[in-house]
Amino acid sequence: MGSASMIVLIISAIIFAVGGILVSKLLFKKHNSVVKGEAYECGVPTIGKSWVQFNVGYYLFALIFLIFDVELVFLYPWAVVAKSVGWLALVEIIIFMFILFVGFLYAHKKGALKWM
Amino acid sequence: MNALLVLSIAGLAALFSGFSHNKKLAVIVSLLGLAVAFTVNVLDWNTAVRYYNDMIFVDNYAIAFTGVMALTMLLIVALFVDYKESVEVPNAEIFALLFFSLAGGVMLVSYSNLLMLFLGIEILSIPLYILAGSKRHTLTSNEAAIKYFLLGAFASAFLLFGIVLIYGVTASFHIETIAAYIKNANGQPPALLVAGMFMLIGGLGFKISAAPFHFWTPDVYQGSPTIVTTFMSTVVKTAGIAAFYRLFAYAFPAITAEWIPTISVLAALTMTVGNVTAVFQSSVKRMLAYSGIAHAGYLLIAFVSISSNPASSVLYYLIAYAVSTVCAFAVLMVIQHTTGSEEVDGFKGLSKRSPFLAFITTVAFISLAGIPPTAGFFAKFYLFSGAVKAGHLWLTIIAVLNSCIAIYYYFRVITAVYSEGTDSTPVELGTVQKAVMIITAVLAVALGLFPEMIISLL
Amino acid sequence: MENISAQITQVAPLEHYILLSAVLFSLGVLGVLLRRNVIIMFMSIELMLNACNLLLAAFSAFHSSAAGQIFVFFIMIVAAAEVAVGLAIIVMIYRNIHSIDINELSKLKW
Repeated sequence: MGSASMIVLIISAIIFAVGGILVSKLLFKKHNSVVKGEAYECGVPTIGKSWVQFNVGYYLFALIFLIFDVELVFLYPWAVVAKSVGWLALVEIIIFMFILFVGFLYAHKKGALKWM
Repeated sequence: MNALLVLSIAGLAALFSGFSHNKKLAVIVSLLGLAVAFTVNVLDWNTAVRYYNDMIFVDNYAIAFTGVMALTMLLIVALFVDYKESVEVPNAEIFALLFFSLAGGVMLVSYSNLLMLFLGIEILSIPLYILAGSKRHTLTSNEAAIKYFLLGAFASAFLLFGIVLIYGVTASFHIETIAAYIKNANGQPPALLVAGMFMLIGGLGFKISAAPFHFWTPDVYQGSPTIVTTFMSTVVKTAGIAAFYRLFAYAFPAITAEWIPTISVLAALTMTVGNVTAVFQSSVKRMLAYSGIAHAGYLLIAFVSISSNPASSVLYYLIAYAVSTVCAFAVLMVIQHTTGSEEVDGFKGLSKRSPFLAFITTVAFISLAGIPPTAGFFAKFYLFSGAVKAGHLWLTIIAVLNSCIAIYYYFRVITAVYSEGTDSTPVELGTVQKAVMIITAVLAVALGLFPEMIISLL
Repeated sequence: MENISAQITQVAPLEHYILLSAVLFSLGVLGVLLRRNVIIMFMSIELMLNACNLLLAAFSAFHSSAAGQIFVFFIMIVAAAEVAVGLAIIVMIYRNIHSIDINELSKLKW
């Protein structure tokens, strides 16, 4: 893959994208109507503003997700050394995941994952 | 190290015991867990083993302070049995959070790597942020939580930056490697390292509420539920001081000239601010918060004589302080419940209402004030004489003057107890509550009569 | 690691990293001290932590020791835990007073 093939790719991408727009401009007549200008062309019109407060339930999920998501950053350094440490590494990561699982279990039992 | 494992597992067990229908189960699990943790901790005595790739070093110092913290928390959990103030979080969760916090405390007294210092501080603090706000619908509790959280996170960022700077100079987080590096520098440590050390002083000074980093203390102590305040002013203070002392005893003993002036000014400022402000408080809870600041100041005096190893004086002082504080707060909880106020006036006429409580209050506050024959007196005596031997006479003079101020405000409570009150209904006490009061009061006197028990430990 | 260390110090000397981190950290400190919106104060604290992360990564490459980068992982985890607790506290307060201005909270005197 030299720079020549890159240039060919870029040029063909531009032709493909711009060409499509140009062809549709040339071939079709313009129809402007109120319905077409709306944000959603299908479905029902929105009620009120779209900047509304989200349900608190999302927030709870987000917090729980955040914790479990970030904990997994430890898997990266673990994966680097897992092979050289051997079986012990597997046992240790299982213990680690188990601790996380206990936390998850608690959240589940408290009903934090139920939609309210 | 076994204590750490036991505490973590006991915390989880306490957490899940909340799902049981038996409401007493959480207390029983917690007391049992603490007793087991204390036992396995003591069994490690005189072994001095390094765990987790030398992340923590469980020497006698660590074991002694872990023991103190576990026993103090045992007393506090026992107080929960008859606790009446509304905490809007299930007891099981409170216990679990206390356990996790204590696990952080254990890491703080046994770390040998600055990573563990940072993690310990965070594990100690994060549950406390929740506990401070555990009266969810009370604004003062909310305010305590947010203040503690914002300032706590702010302080740990400073601590972290200090650690990073030290790592940048020494290429290591291990406190003994850092000490070796400083020794090789022949009294000329790089400026970056000294800057890092001062940021550590700031971050840790916040945790032990040393002036001028003490502003959060009265608000947080007053706003939190009283039982959480008890935990903060005993266990958390013990962990903070022990971590602070461990850092300077292990990592920076070679450059005492750099930090002793700062620490002694900090000590003088802390005890003066704490004691003078405490005089003007009408709320006993807030007064105890300021007295806690003052005690942190006395404890910082130990740092100036660090070359003669004053660890056992620090230990003795912290035990004496913890015992008397738990006792004082136990009485305060009863007063709060029966009179609905935490003011000094609430103590009026207590000698008529319950001679037993009046006596307990007297012992607790006499010990806090440091009057013989209680433990508080000998604790101060050992600390101050250490400072005199190290040649810091001016610091000792300030400390003694401060102790005189302290006597004034502690005796305000005692005189209120023995003065005439309007209310004369007898006070009802729970059995466990009474037992905790008796144990702490007896300890406060017994430790004063036999200080060698503790002083010869470390 | 030596390779990376050489590359990094080629692009920018270590002093630049220290300076940048110090500036970021100071911005965070100023944010906490000057702003009165709890969320903004909270973000400033995160900025302080990230300044530490940046400096740790730079020192780690400079010293050719992985310990600093492992420390960064721990800081990220701790920051996430703090975020969870902090946001929970903020929501609790918002439900009670319908504001997140720190000045509204003055039941306890400073």
